[in-house]
Amino acid sequence: MRSKLAPFAIVVVAAATIGLSGCSAGTGGTGDAKVTTITFGNWRTEDAKLWESSVIPAFEKAHPEIKVTYQATSTNDYNAAIQSKVESGTGPDVIMCRPFDVNRAWIEKGYFDNLKSLTSISNFTPTALAAWTGADGDPYCMPIASVLAGFYYNKTIFKELGLSVPTTMAEFTSDLKKIKANGKYTPLALGSADGWQLAYNVLDSIGPNYWQGEAGRLGLIDGTKKLTDPDFVAATQAFADLKPYLPDGYQSLKYEDMMQLFTLGKAAIIPDGSWDVTAASATGLDIGVFAAPVVKAGDQRYLQEMPDQGVGLNAKSKNKTASKVFLEWLGTTDFQKIYVDKVPGFFSMGTAAVPYTNKLSQQFADLKKGAKLTPRLALDRLSAGTPPLDDDTWAVLQTVLNDGVSAEAAQQKLQTGLDSWYKPAK
Amino acid sequence: MTATAPTRAPRGDRVRGSERGTAFAVHGLLIVFAIIAIAPILVVVINSFKTTMGIFGAPFALPGADTFTLQGYLDVFTGGDFVTNYRNSAVVTAVTIALTVALGTAAAWAIVEYKVRISPLITGFFIVGIMLPIRLGTVPLLKTMVSWNLIDTLPALILIYTAMQLPLAVALMMTYFRSVPTELKEAARMDGANEFRVLGIAIPLVRPGIAAVASITMLPVWNDLWFPLIFAPSKQNQTVTLGVQQFVGQFQSNYPALLAALTLGAIPLIVLFTVLSRQFIQGLSAGYGK
Amino acid sequence: MIRTATRYRMLAIFVLPALAIYVIFSVLPLLSSVILSFFNSSNGGSAFIAFGNYVHLFTDPYISGHFWNALRNSVEFFAIHLIVELPVGLLMAALLTSATLRRSRGIYRTLLFIPATLSVVIVGFIWRLIINPLWGVVSFPLLGNTATALPTISLMSVWEYIGIPMIFLYTALLAIPNDIVEASRIDGASPWQLFWRIKFPLIAPQFGLITILTYIWTFNGFDIVYALNGSAPGPNYSTDILGTLFYRTFFGSSGQVADLDLGATIASVIFFIILVTTAAYFVVLQRRIKTYEL
Repeated sequence: MRSKLAPFAIVVVAAATIGLSGCSAGTGGTGDAKVTTITFGNWRTEDAKLWESSVIPAFEKAHPEIKVTYQATSTNDYNAAIQSKVESGTGPDVIMCRPFDVNRAWIEKGYFDNLKSLTSISNFTPTALAAWTGADGDPYCMPIASVLAGFYYNKTIFKELGLSVPTTMAEFTSDLKKIKANGKYTPLALGSADGWQLAYNVLDSIGPNYWQGEAGRLGLIDGTKKLTDPDFVAATQAFADLKPYLPDGYQSLKYEDMMQLFTLGKAAIIPDGSWDVTAASATGLDIGVFAAPVVKAGDQRYLQEMPDQGVGLNAKSKNKTASKVFLEWLGTTDFQKIYVDKVPGFFSMGTAAVPYTNKLSQQFADLKKGAKLTPRLALDRLSAGTPPLDDDTWAVLQTVLNDGVSAEAAQQKLQTGLDSWYKPAK
Repeated sequence: MTATAPTRAPRGDRVRGSERGTAFAVHGLLIVFAIIAIAPILVVVINSFKTTMGIFGAPFALPGADTFTLQGYLDVFTGGDFVTNYRNSAVVTAVTIALTVALGTAAAWAIVEYKVRISPLITGFFIVGIMLPIRLGTVPLLKTMVSWNLIDTLPALILIYTAMQLPLAVALMMTYFRSVPTELKEAARMDGANEFRVLGIAIPLVRPGIAAVASITMLPVWNDLWFPLIFAPSKQNQTVTLGVQQFVGQFQSNYPALLAALTLGAIPLIVLFTVLSRQFIQGLSAGYGK
Repeated sequence: MIRTATRYRMLAIFVLPALAIYVIFSVLPLLSSVILSFFNSSNGGSAFIAFGNYVHLFTDPYISGHFWNALRNSVEFFAIHLIVELPVGLLMAALLTSATLRRSRGIYRTLLFIPATLSVVIVGFIWRLIINPLWGVVSFPLLGNTATALPTISLMSVWEYIGIPMIFLYTALLAIPNDIVEASRIDGASPWQLFWRIKFPLIAPQFGLITILTYIWTFNGFDIVYALNGSAPGPNYSTDILGTLFYRTFFGSSGQVADLDLGATIASVIFFIILVTTAAYFVVLQRRIKTYEL
């Protein structure tokens, strides 16, 4: 009988031996005293290879006394992980900052050191710094990159169907109609399973042309405008009007499905962000980019430029000197040149011009010409309370596409939610 | 297998025919269930040998000449530290199972065997633990680990998982210890055995319970993502589940590598279950019935 | 008989190690988090507000709306597990104990249990692909419809975890002493009668145990919904269960600021619901089973 316990005994013994070897391995690796290792916590898992093989080596070459560990956490878990670690004093030395409200809450909780004294900060305009300033107006994160929103289109399909790149909403709709009438391709690769995609890549991309970009956004913040104003309703209506051109079963299609559909050459247009240039061109399709069309010919054009990543200094870091050296470097043109070259689809936020080697990146950057820039609508101040306008927009836009909720009703619901807590700033 | 013995007795042809019918139905149903259980998993395995285009172009097709690739597996072994991840998961799971089984068995034995006034209180205290949402305690737990100097180590994970699994282990082991015949223990005590010796005599009888506890413990521990993410995130301490996450991007994932990593990550538990289940099933037919 | 002093000493020796780990790494951290639910720390400081957060949770129209929605969804999530997982698990267990099986028994047992060993990441990926309107075998957007999304996810979860009730019930059936079964067989009971009149009452306590464990696991459930739909599970929160509501509130998301106090409040309420229901179950149902057995 007792011999039958042998398997358990083996598990215990094996566990103990591997456990011991594991512990001893874990304690090693402090290295020689001269080199300081700092950890860079961020949510860009896809970029790990690029940072580790190109960006960080460039820094380490210039600063051999510092080593940087790239610690990426998938974006869904990022806030939870960073908050738990920083609250308990175990956070990474430098931390990638979410833009606007979430970061403002982090600054308020004392997660970051003030970066006012860093010289590289002067390489950025106040607009570039705005997404990461505290209540005191000081910068808390070094701006790394912004992203742009637009529409990728399959040039081969456009040529085959004799379509031209749309500049007005009327032309856009007429293109979509023609693709649908032809029946061979899905006009618009867009699914509603991921609410954020509806908000960031569609409404906040075409919407600024309706609500005049910053005029509309800042109007909501200072309380002179309401989400129920005709401009905002018209934007949501234009969003709702795209419904006939979506793929079948769009209600349960996620963002990843959409990009697969597009890169397999089965969809003509995909509303997306510049961050996806690598993925969009991965299968070698002939691809172009166009900006959100204006409402009427001759209108001023607005383009969504979203501050995406900044990097802040953990207030509880034990390696502040080295971390500051790294942050200073992240603010230089040297870094920006390497970064936009190696990580295409992300744009430098500095005042100095940097060239883009990636063709699509350059095309995206060209969309800025003649356009007034504006960030996503709901992330600045309007999402600092409950219900956060941003999350609320995701869910409401899903109901517009899936359940046929009218644009008016949708905007009314959002405004009611906002009114329940938001006090306009002066 | 005493249950089969009477059916071997010679009977009429009609009975034998209906027996064959039963056998047919039983196998048929089990085969259907097995297909429902396994076929979806094969989809993952098949697709792990395909290119991204192949996966989404025809997800249920076998890899063909133009879609077959080992790139996913190559990425797993070159890009990540998959071997290290594997070892970490193995250490954490094995030590947690060992600790949970050892401590849980001891506690359950004592609660059942040494009845005192506060016994129901101790039982209740452990049972409440089955219901606790332990994730809520993350920040205080981190602070504890910091003060014990255990941050970013595997022992941190082991301690948390053991604490998480102990309540259910104690509750389950108690039900098994209750079925150990009193005469057996009393006889041993009469012979002058001390309490540790008595426990030693009882343990073989609760072997199925131990195997059950081990199998229940291994599942959430091997597959957990949250605690490795917070308590042992550095490269040398990553577990398999956390390592797999590196192939999940913010916007775009490396699907062949993701599927390859998921396939490789699933194998150890399947093997472990096969071993453990044989243990507790054998234990059952030996311990009871005959 | 063992002396009382000895009993206490033995109890201490055997129980204390388990108790220490359980208290230090589970009970205490949780308690110190639960304490948060009695404070308001939103404006930098930390003020004691007694049950203020609880009042807020149940009176604020937005938050209470989300809470009741999540509670309803959790009940549905549990109900589907109960309705599908237990009967099918029992059927599997009964088939596995069938006398006609010989060497194939172990193979079936392992195959049926394999899904339970998988991580939710695989489960989510598999089923999303299979029921995807673009690539899969179902053209209806099961996960995109507010009426079908939660049942669909629940069934995915059932698919994954059904091996656990199966193995519990299977071991319980195996543990039934053969002489009892033989006696009734000789009395001329049909296999059907044998199962429901003799075997089932004997495994009823196991059945009860699995019911309550399923209840606890589904009410604390989080992983599968999170893996499929993230922390604000759509469409329009139709798959939001208590676990995801807690996570989203306590940890925030890329577009939502974390609220530790309210998150701790929600977790405490979830725990309270589970505790009360479980206690009620043990008092009422377990007693009934005992009288039934007698």
